Amino acid sequence: MRLYDSSRLLFLLWSAVLVLNGILLAFIIVPRHETMGDVQRIFYFHVASAWIAYVAFGVTFVASIVYMRTKDFKWDNWAVSSAEIGVVFTTLAILTGPMWAKAVWEVYWRWEDLKLLMTLVLWLVFIAYLALRANVPSRRTKATLAAVFSVIGMSCIPLSFAANRIWTQYHPTVIASDQGEIVTEGMLPALIVAVFAMTFLYLALLLMRVGIAQLQDRVDELKTRVGD
Amino acid sequence: MGATAAIFAKELRVEFRNRQTIVSYLLLAVLILTSFRFAFSTIGEDHTELAAPILWITIFFSGLLSLTPSYKREVDERTKEGLLLAPVEHQSIFLGKLAASLVVVFGLEVVTLVLFFGFFPFAFPDGLALGVILVLGTLGFVILGSILSAIAANLTQAGVMLMVLAIPVLLFTVVLSAVSATSEIFSGGGLSDVDSEWKLLTVFTLVYFAIGYILIDYILEA
Repeated sequence: MRLYDSSRLLFLLWSAVLVLNGILLAFIIVPRHETMGDVQRIFYFHVASAWIAYVAFGVTFVASIVYMRTKDFKWDNWAVSSAEIGVVFTTLAILTGPMWAKAVWEVYWRWEDLKLLMTLVLWLVFIAYLALRANVPSRRTKATLAAVFSVIGMSCIPLSFAANRIWTQYHPTVIASDQGEIVTEGMLPALIVAVFAMTFLYLALLLMRVGIAQLQDRVDELKTRVGD
Repeated sequence: MGATAAIFAKELRVEFRNRQTIVSYLLLAVLILTSFRFAFSTIGEDHTELAAPILWITIFFSGLLSLTPSYKREVDERTKEGLLLAPVEHQSIFLGKLAASLVVVFGLEVVTLVLFFGFFPFAFPDGLALGVILVLGTLGFVILGSILSAIAANLTQAGVMLMVLAIPVLLFTVVLSAVSATSEIFSGGGLSDVDSEWKLLTVFTLVYFAIGYILIDYILEA
């Protein structure tokens, strides 16, 4: 088992090409936004990061359920790898959002906005998930408890959706919007490239991280064998 | 049912045998209230809108603290294996411990309420509405808190980790609804004014109960 096999390198290379392409499109080729100005260019990275955040936590959730049914560490490796990357991308989304918000809304954060709150809750849940893992010594206990917690955490997302009675939608809706054209024709290629770039970057990182987790399991297994 | 009752009785006996633990939760509740009372006196006395958050923060944190030892002591005293080997369903263990935790937290709440209305210059609101919201909110956070306490029992730093696990999942669900309903009640509302909140809190309670009932098998065998 090697960490840098051809498929992983190919993913990494391809995501690098796409990311460079995305930067080129977003910063140079796409025209300046009529009302928001240059600050709008952060939109491409923000949307793509947020998209990956949801995908990554979705993968963790599914892998956790499969782990609970199969008790195969392979699935736990997918769950933790995706959660770690998810936290990174959520952090990016939470950092890039306020940069735009300060310019357009004149505040960094809106506590009453539904989408912002959901993203914050997700971020906190998965930080707690990683903290949980860091505090369990045994491999099997760690995997099981983390899987249970990710199921609890994800089930609470729709509940906090319902609980937030005061919510309003300040945050622009990109897909299926009734607020008029958010994405104009000139922006679309940059957005598509950015989303694909982040998706491939996520896949490349995920494959590498799962590879590391598998190597870790292998090392532990060999250590136990030597210990016998 | 017999097993649940036996575990419930055992939990209460252990909890009250060692009086210093129960006193420490009470002490925390008193200290949180005192801190708020002090802060409150510096900003003026007419902030009724702060009543609900002060009450819930006190109940939430002292209540969560009281949930920590519920499963942790089985690990510490090496009685977990014995408990698991006993011919009882894991669900009975969950229910017995949950019922005992509820008794402790409701007890804490009574003391907190007496102190709260003694300390703060808030007018006593609609008793029925406040009671319903307090009971439902407490059920919600104690049920999920109890499950998380079973998880945290296996972790190093169980006490801190229980807070870390509980706050992201409870703050924006149960606590948010309970605080918004209690605010409404303190500003003169009755049960009909918090219709959506008490229904929502009932849903949370049922969902958390189902989650705990299903997942406790995985947690206890971890």
